[in-house]
Amino acid sequence: MVSFLTLWSHQPAATLRVRVGSTVLGEYSLMQTKLLTVSGSAGKATIEIQQGKVRFKHSPCHNQYCVHQGWLTHAHQAAICIPNQISIELMGASPAFDTLNY
Amino acid sequence: MRYYILLFAFFTQISCTPLDPLYHSQSYVFGTLVDISIYGEEESEAQLMSSQITREFQNIHNRLHAWKPSELNGINKTFADNRPKLIEPDIAQIIEDATKLSIQSEGLFNPAIGKLIQAWGFQRDEFTADLPDQPTLDALLAEQPKMTDIVINGHQIISNNPHVKLDLGGYAKGYALDAGMKILREFQVKHALINIGGNVIALGKHGENPWTIGIQHPRKPDAIATIALESGWAIGTSGDYQRFFMHDGKRYCHIIDPRTGQPAQGTQSVTVLIPPGPHAGVLSDVASKPIFISALGEKAAFAKKMGVSHVLVIQEDGQILATPSMQQRLQWLDQEAKQRVGTLQ
Repeated sequence: MVSFLTLWSHQPAATLRVRVGSTVLGEYSLMQTKLLTVSGSAGKATIEIQQGKVRFKHSPCHNQYCVHQGWLTHAHQAAICIPNQISIELMGASPAFDTLNY
Repeated sequence: MRYYILLFAFFTQISCTPLDPLYHSQSYVFGTLVDISIYGEEESEAQLMSSQITREFQNIHNRLHAWKPSELNGINKTFADNRPKLIEPDIAQIIEDATKLSIQSEGLFNPAIGKLIQAWGFQRDEFTADLPDQPTLDALLAEQPKMTDIVINGHQIISNNPHVKLDLGGYAKGYALDAGMKILREFQVKHALINIGGNVIALGKHGENPWTIGIQHPRKPDAIATIALESGWAIGTSGDYQRFFMHDGKRYCHIIDPRTGQPAQGTQSVTVLIPPGPHAGVLSDVASKPIFISALGEKAAFAKKMGVSHVLVIQEDGQILATPSMQQRLQWLDQEAKQRVGTLQ
């Protein structure tokens, strides 16, 4: 299971925030090529940063929605793997709203 | 066959600077994402409150879980065995309130159809689609489980129909929003925003401005509009784009029409805005369901029956309709949608 969002704002992002459950694991520059291995509640996921974009490369979840979502490139885009409780989020200037109703 | 559970989510910035003392926490309860924002409190205080609220949500989730051992499933079991059961007063209150709302919706909101929801495969964390065969559905429909089959006498509950299987999936998150607000008020928090899987309730403001909520476009990865959510107001959406599966090109969403036993068709999303009150959260969760399930021509009438005046409807054929009071509140981001919006009345 995964979540995604592209806001109307198309500003490029510079920073990635990774959370596991309710904890911020860290913030990472997008301007690098790097594989992060993150342990979630369902197992180990691989997050790939590649010069300005990021994606879930591998995930132990059943439906693989997070992996199928592909690359995130713009500020405020986010992907959440709910079964594994890992989220990746691209940071940017202040968003136009506080939370999303869906 | 392709299976989907899509959930669009958006994150606020975390910043606890003196300029914008906004604390934001994120957790996973009710099989979805819970976002709590608290404005204007010390970070350590905000953290304490948000973890207390999250614990309460987990507690509600555990007690009302529809397909794991829980108080609710204990009740379902005694219903099936045609035995009475002693229940906690708050559970009795929840069931009585859900029954009242079910009657109000003329049965379109019907939490007694747990067996139908199970037959469609939606009672799973990561469901795989099951298309139940027609004889199975016919048999489940013929059992006619209704909330009014349930009799509560003091602390004792029994069902006159052994086929009643409670699934409060369309109620529990709204109930939790109200419970969260109660905790915030007990802590004397002035400004906070709680989002449980897209259902949102606001307290106070975000600094000088009201809390601003984006409303998800049912078919695009963007917000279609924003709305200023004043203190005490709640917003909820029923959509066909979060829990659904595709089979032979047809979409089957998790909202089942109790009259036909089939997933509701024809509507992509219904958003309701609920004014302040002790049950604003519950109403934001429940009231959108009968409007979503009913035919387009009946939607305005069902909104009235549920006592809701702020409604936004997006139909499968692309029609966008909003009640006049809702139109006044919406700030459109999608310009194409803005030009097409008609009046729901």
